[in-house]
Amino acid sequence: MSLLAELTALTAHHRARCAAYDRILTALGAGGEFESVADLPWLPVRLFKTHELKSIPDEEVFKVLTSSGTTGAPSRIFLDRAAAAAQTQHLAATLQTVLGPRRLPMLMVDTAGVVQDRRTFSARGAGVLGMANFGRKHVYVLDEHDEPDVEAVRGFLARHGDEPFLIFGFTFMVWRYLYRMAREHGFDLSNGILLHSGGWKKLADQAVDNATFRRAFAADTGLRRIHNYYGMVEQIGTVFVEGAAGDGLYCPDFADVIIRDPVTFAEQPVGVPGVIEVVSTLPRSYPGHVLLTEDLGVCHGVDDGERPGKRFSVLGRLPKAEVRGCSDTFGAPAA
Amino acid sequence: MRQLFPVETGEVGAVVEVTALLDEVRSAPALAVGDERVVDFLGRFARALLAPAVARAYPELASLGFFLRRGGIRRALARLADDELRLPRGLVFHVPPANVDTIFVYSWALSALAGNRNIVRLSPRAAGAADAVLDAMRAALPGVPGVPGDPVRASQRIVTYDRDDAVTAALSAAADLRVLWGGDASVRALRRFELAPHARDLTFPDRSSFAIISADGWARASQAERRAAVEGFRNDVFWFDQAACASPRGVYWVGGSHAGEFRAMLAEVAADPEPAMAVQNRVGAYGAAADGRAARIAFDSPALTTLEAPDVIRDWLGAGVLTQSSVSTLDELVPKVVRRDQTITHFGFSRAELIAFARQLSGVDRLVPFGSALKFAPVWDGYHLLAEFTRIVTVTV
Repeated sequence: MSLLAELTALTAHHRARCAAYDRILTALGAGGEFESVADLPWLPVRLFKTHELKSIPDEEVFKVLTSSGTTGAPSRIFLDRAAAAAQTQHLAATLQTVLGPRRLPMLMVDTAGVVQDRRTFSARGAGVLGMANFGRKHVYVLDEHDEPDVEAVRGFLARHGDEPFLIFGFTFMVWRYLYRMAREHGFDLSNGILLHSGGWKKLADQAVDNATFRRAFAADTGLRRIHNYYGMVEQIGTVFVEGAAGDGLYCPDFADVIIRDPVTFAEQPVGVPGVIEVVSTLPRSYPGHVLLTEDLGVCHGVDDGERPGKRFSVLGRLPKAEVRGCSDTFGAPAA
Repeated sequence: MRQLFPVETGEVGAVVEVTALLDEVRSAPALAVGDERVVDFLGRFARALLAPAVARAYPELASLGFFLRRGGIRRALARLADDELRLPRGLVFHVPPANVDTIFVYSWALSALAGNRNIVRLSPRAAGAADAVLDAMRAALPGVPGVPGDPVRASQRIVTYDRDDAVTAALSAAADLRVLWGGDASVRALRRFELAPHARDLTFPDRSSFAIISADGWARASQAERRAAVEGFRNDVFWFDQAACASPRGVYWVGGSHAGEFRAMLAEVAADPEPAMAVQNRVGAYGAAADGRAARIAFDSPALTTLEAPDVIRDWLGAGVLTQSSVSTLDELVPKVVRRDQTITHFGFSRAELIAFARQLSGVDRLVPFGSALKFAPVWDGYHLLAEFTRIVTVTV
């Protein structure tokens, strides 16, 4: 089945099972047929913060994922057993395209503490825990006091540095801790495969962009196999991974992105930045298959890179709406 | 905390301690109700607000500027004339909301006119129009910076500080009247700070507003009248991103509907939103539909989202998200009105119809024509502000 046909069927699936979703589509006058993926009705991702949207009965809820949002309420994403399994499988399939089939020794650029309390399932914890499955013999770069653990990394490289190994972490932590440590101690990371995510915002004030990041790692540590990826808890299991050359993020075959004009929401042509809509056939337990994110991105080209499909980049967050109305001064923290 | 008004030359935002501030303000020379020196100062301030550059950048300040001109002030003072002896209340502590940059000026100006010593706490988040207001106030100050003796300079203070319970407690304890703007949560949070036994609060909590249009009145109106109404309505909605308590959140058509024409005219004159607001509008509109409160969503333009709904939705859903509802008569609307409703903007009704309607309502403090929702009036939320800012002294011989 084509992506459009699958998504059309999924739209009907959610309308039949999620009354709130059906009310939205009815209010929009949406029918059941769509000419292209871009014509599918989308939900703003923030709706998962304000509303409980699920397409499964309460008794089938197996896992509730929450976003780590620093402001306002977290998103709540409801998975049943099947959805949780599908999410793990699809993530594995996507990552295997860059990691290969074998589970490699893995360096985690985080502290083991971030995954210890599994009840507080933060996005960072969930990300680290999810990724840990793709490696073995994990070594954490930070100790229990969040201090860089040079000896642990030195030991890991002594044991595994001569064969391919996996490195995972959030972009700013990889830069702040691993890059600095490797440069300072002359660590050789040339057999590493780095997967990193989380955006460039915290590095922007240090004038570190993707090109600088890749250049510095290659020059100072020998690390060249670097894959940025983009994903979110609201579409868990779907990740958009950067090609080896760093020429953009690619969609897995069960997903797509649409870049939209931030005011009219019409689809933007190649090269014109806009708001990122993420599309995936994975969400079956909640109506999150077509989501308008609050991230800005740009499509660089279609079927013209090292892999088929759209090549795109994430440019940062859409600024928040500043409201000037008569609301709270001393009350709840600003949302 | 930092003092924003008055300021010495080149010293914007000097740090000041709360005890020193209170000592200084308490020892300022007394002012009378309607004190000429304050009237002069407010007149100069009004002219600064009405200067073309300010009026262009912040059209909502013009309404305040007009009010504070000598004529407006005289009329407001005249409302007190029949009363017995009126004296200032003393020290008034004002806490305006963080995100309406200019609302503090209304209550402060009237309180100053009533001869009070005033301390206004601005949020550090205030910016933009608040800066324009402060510049205008500074420009209007008489006398020479640093030279004592001017009672306006000595008795009127605008300060800013981040949440600081000790400072808020000290200012509350010293106040004879505390003016709390903002949402219900702010009012509740601030009431935890005790006032002196004789003092009290004047509160402006969460409110909501809507518009009514008479289908007959619309049909009778000329094309030019309709256009003027739509432009006024546009200002009511968009000057504060529809988030001011007086901004209409929806329209009730009474006795028929010309909603199609009205929406098309409004879409023509509404400016495109900022991207973040465009997304907010979808979140708000879709959320209302998910809740079953809106049966139909239509995107009339990037700026304007229409929700077909049986009732106005009182939550803020974003700038330019408006419900359209219908009732056959004003009487049918009466039970839909609640206590928190503040302003009804109206078009096409007679004064007699509106008065008969208002007498039946359990909420609503103002009924004003399209284009006047955000126009400041010395009677606000049902309070005669100058009366609230003064005390009545009876002298019997």
